[in-house]
Amino acid sequence: MASPTDTSATAYAVYDRTTSRWGRLTMLLGLLFSYAGPVYLVLFSGLEIPLSDMLTAFLAVAAVFAILAVVEPITYYPVLGPAAMYQAFMIGNIANKLLPSAIVAQAAIGAKPGTRRAELAAVMAICGAAVVHIFSLLLFVGILGTWLVSVVPEPVVEVARLYIFPAIIGAVIVQLAAYVKQPRILLIALAVGAVVQLLLVPVLGTTFRNFATAVVVLATMVLAWVLRDRKAEHAAPGDESLP
Amino acid sequence: MNTLSDYVNMPFLWFCALAVFAVIILQTVIYVRAARLVGPDVGFTRQDLRQSFRSGGVAAIGPSLAVVVVAVALLPLFGAPAVLVRIGLVGSAATETSSANLAAGTLDAELGGAGWTPDVFTVAFLAMSLSGGLWMLATLILTPLLKRGDVKLRSVNPALMAIVPSAALLAAFASLGIAELPKSSVHILTVVVSAIVMAVCLLLARALGAPWLREWGLGFSIIIGLVVAYFAHGAGMGATA
Repeated sequence: MASPTDTSATAYAVYDRTTSRWGRLTMLLGLLFSYAGPVYLVLFSGLEIPLSDMLTAFLAVAAVFAILAVVEPITYYPVLGPAAMYQAFMIGNIANKLLPSAIVAQAAIGAKPGTRRAELAAVMAICGAAVVHIFSLLLFVGILGTWLVSVVPEPVVEVARLYIFPAIIGAVIVQLAAYVKQPRILLIALAVGAVVQLLLVPVLGTTFRNFATAVVVLATMVLAWVLRDRKAEHAAPGDESLP
Repeated sequence: MNTLSDYVNMPFLWFCALAVFAVIILQTVIYVRAARLVGPDVGFTRQDLRQSFRSGGVAAIGPSLAVVVVAVALLPLFGAPAVLVRIGLVGSAATETSSANLAAGTLDAELGGAGWTPDVFTVAFLAMSLSGGLWMLATLILTPLLKRGDVKLRSVNPALMAIVPSAALLAAFASLGIAELPKSSVHILTVVVSAIVMAVCLLLARALGAPWLREWGLGFSIIIGLVVAYFAHGAGMGATA
């Protein structure tokens, strides 16, 4: 064969350019549409919400999650590759759905990890997963779910509304603890959380309460770093699922 | 005036939610076409493409339905458009409800409680969207840099990269979980039941070699947690809101 590597390199460069350019563009569009809904409510629904309320709420949330928003893309990049990054962070549910799908597909076609075939298999698997996910959401949540909620008696809906968060958070803590398998950090987080939320918040008042979780995040990160097990080799989360 | 459900179901919100879905479909079509084009030159045949797409889709059925259960449970709180975009796509139940919880807290309102008005919902929805958007912004900015190899954080300090995300995640959710406890005895009970159900699911998943239990753990925890909350609330253990 006449220099197959040349043609394959050129072809791959075209693929890379298409997916990078359109991946970025579609993600930007998705981002704008996801902003449009709440911005519309703020501006055109007749609600008069002070700017300071919005700013405080955003800062309280961002103070907790901004670090993760930067670190997670960096952690997943080696596993996903550039093309899949633009899919994964728009579709969501990366660890519980997209990565397993990608690994199953690579196994199905017998693609060796690290090859172009494996990369394409992962991206196509995420495409398949996206289609399934979108249709199940539209059908079961958008249509059936909305109908279901409309026929469920009001007292039940009220309880669901009131206790949905505690019903989620207990499970999430356990699931996360089992996933990261770092008991030392878990203990630090629980201890710092208890001190801040149960001892400091009642004393220090509203402003502190708004940023209490951010304080817990910061303090836990610092303590987890200072008190880390210096003998152990750490694996980054997601590494075990490297395709 | 209008009720909460009028606001959460405004036609324009539905339009935006469907637009995000359409964008993902568009992206999928573009990616499949690009892969089909490059395929023959890198040994990725049409057959490979079809099979990867199909097995990826089939593998996603279970996890997608598990997400559906969680999303339906959140419909009374956020309404379908916000749930579809924030919980179904982009974010996750854990981060997005946490964001909403934090945002509502800054207005002295409790998620889903008596103070959960259209105003509070709007502020929470905005904060969720802006904060959830940070992941997408970071992806848009960092991916090209990572590709060029400009950002090599992992090689700089792998221990730091291992500790920071775990610590931040555990701290955020531990703090928000503990903050639920002083609210009422039903809250305490619900958090504990939810945690126990998840622990049982994870243990059974390992013992029985049934990974689907791991995916469905959150759905089961929410449903059982809410059922227990319903009876406890009915028994008068709830907060006097």
